[in-house]
Amino acid sequence: MTEMNFAEALVDALCVAMDADPKVSIIGRGISGHGAEAGADKRLVPYGDRVLDPPTSEAAVAMLALGASMTGLRMFHHFGSGVFAFEAWNQVVNEAANARYMSGGRLKSPVTYCMFHGLRQGGGPQHSASPHGAYAHNPGLEIVMPATPADAKGLVLTSIYSDNATVMLVHPTLLALRAEVPAGDYRVPFGKAAVHRQGKDVTIVALSRQVTEAMKAADILAQEGIDAEVVDPRTLVPLDETGILASVKKTGRLVIADEGPSFGSASEIAAMVAEKGFSSLKAPVARVNRPHTPVPFSPEMEAFLTPDAAKIAAAARRTVAA
Amino acid sequence: MNKQERLALFECMLRIRRFEEDVIRLAMAYDYVGRQHLYIGAEGAGAGACLALHKDDVAHTTHRNHGYLVARGSDRMAMFAEILGRDGGTNKGRGGPWHICDPDVGFHSTSAMVGGSIALAVGSAYGLMKQKSQAIAVAHFGDGTLDEGIGYESLNLASLLKLPVLFMCENNAKPGQRPSSMLAAKHLSHVPAALDIPTAVVNGANVEEVHAAAQKAVAHVRSGKGPFFLQADLERWPGSHQVHAAFPTGVTDIAMAWDSSKIDGKHADWIKTYDPILRHAKTLLAESVATQDELLAVDQRVTADTTKARETAEKSPFPVASDAAKQFA
Ligand SMILES: Cc1ncc(C[n+]2csc(CCOP(=O)(O)OP(=O)(O)O)c2C)c(N)n1
Ligand SMILES: [Mg+2]
Repeated sequence: MTEMNFAEALVDALCVAMDADPKVSIIGRGISGHGAEAGADKRLVPYGDRVLDPPTSEAAVAMLALGASMTGLRMFHHFGSGVFAFEAWNQVVNEAANARYMSGGRLKSPVTYCMFHGLRQGGGPQHSASPHGAYAHNPGLEIVMPATPADAKGLVLTSIYSDNATVMLVHPTLLALRAEVPAGDYRVPFGKAAVHRQGKDVTIVALSRQVTEAMKAADILAQEGIDAEVVDPRTLVPLDETGILASVKKTGRLVIADEGPSFGSASEIAAMVAEKGFSSLKAPVARVNRPHTPVPFSPEMEAFLTPDAAKIAAAARRTVAA
Repeated sequence: MNKQERLALFECMLRIRRFEEDVIRLAMAYDYVGRQHLYIGAEGAGAGACLALHKDDVAHTTHRNHGYLVARGSDRMAMFAEILGRDGGTNKGRGGPWHICDPDVGFHSTSAMVGGSIALAVGSAYGLMKQKSQAIAVAHFGDGTLDEGIGYESLNLASLLKLPVLFMCENNAKPGQRPSSMLAAKHLSHVPAALDIPTAVVNGANVEEVHAAAQKAVAHVRSGKGPFFLQADLERWPGSHQVHAAFPTGVTDIAMAWDSSKIDGKHADWIKTYDPILRHAKTLLAESVATQDELLAVDQRVTADTTKARETAEKSPFPVASDAAKQFA
């Protein structure tokens, strides 16, 4: 175990993979973002041309990664912002997502598409997208959303060694988060939720940056005598239905905290629990999402839309009072 | 070009420069702005091109947008207010600096996606042609746009349909540095040329050269002969990608045009040999088109206007936060 930040953990995973396997190949720049953590990328320099800095050609580069993965390389392609990856929408959701299945399993497509997502303050309408729900809508993709440095490392390594196309979404405000990270080839299994805090009154299922907010909300709620359990699915596809249902069975109440808008991940989790865990529920499920609207630039308006600890705590209180 | 036209180019460039300097001041004063893509150093290209257009010509641009909007006569108070996310902004605080638009001066959009403006301008050209308008469309974009597939698709569509669109490309790629584009072709303009689009390449630091070429290009497009690709080669200003607000080349003093002792700092060479505004000022003085006092008077007026616009914008209130989720019906 070594303490490091989220950005360093991402880069550490890439270095571990490249050291272990000459077939691992990287495309992208700014994997550690453009803020104070950006220096973490320096560890990639000695790998020379195993790290390709591509032109601004997202669609062609996404296909370069997919095509190369079919020849046996294990490709990790970082788009920068997820809004740039929209330029490669067809390539990810129609080509990569279907590649393995439509070959009857004869092809492998070990490609990981990594990108930043989310409300980041001042991103405005075109730089604030949270596309994880939209990706998850396309069967064939594994969808990964790490919320801690250790999960960042472990999920990158599992993605790289998965033979299916994987989309990994990173919230840029998490890059500075520091915690202990296991050394070496540490892998986090897909489809296994992490319970960050045990509780008996209400389950808060939180995604990506909202895990940090949910933990803060749980502290606020604890002072009021409400005992919240915080569950992080870590991967949206596959989704740990068993883990989520077990928690809801214990608490009888469910709040889902997700930065994405409606018609997305929170809706799917709510529907799943309504179908398979209805008898456990003592109150209606509450979703804490961004409202279904474009994201305004004006800072107070953006803050108004952004899910946070206070909004999660308020939702939890409502379910407990119901 | 007569004296009035040559002075108008000077004034237009200076308006852009003073505007951008105030954007830096705002970025220093308020912590949530400052991720600006400033137009300093490119004024020759923007002023030269925009002053060749009519008021009803329809423009679209990419992220480096301030210069064109100022040149087209957008209300600078409303632009500053938008940059600050205020209710009095061009986009009522919803768009922010990356999306300033002002349809009243023919400015339909800023897309923050590389490849956005070129394709939208082709769409506007189609709309204008179908409605038999005399107006033309203009796409302002950087060399980076030709990295994107949509850049080619848009050029091809425009050529195929003979659309009335001016492709105004600002090329600031620099060999040896990580450029804004990575084109395998030796010359950007070979790409549109291969699609049968006429091209011209000019020095973006020379506003009169840009303006003359833009007038010819606009005349070609307006006469119904189809698109034109005008490429202005530029040298990147040292502060062109600011994460933290800064004045790498200081605040421009017009007197630097005749008194080089005022020039110093790490980027003194850029100021001395490249700055398009000082370059044009020197030409105007050398050819006795204007006196030092005349240039200083223009600057005084422009600086006063700009300051007033900025100060008014700073007093503009924020939009009501809870209106964020309201759509425009
Ligand atoms: C589709 C897309 N991909 C990537 C980016 C990130 N990006 C912002 S500015 C820029 C460079 C653009 O270069 P150019 O258009 O030549 O403009 P310059 O900054 O050089 O003036 C890039 C790649 C983006 N905005 N949109
Ligand atoms: Mg450029």
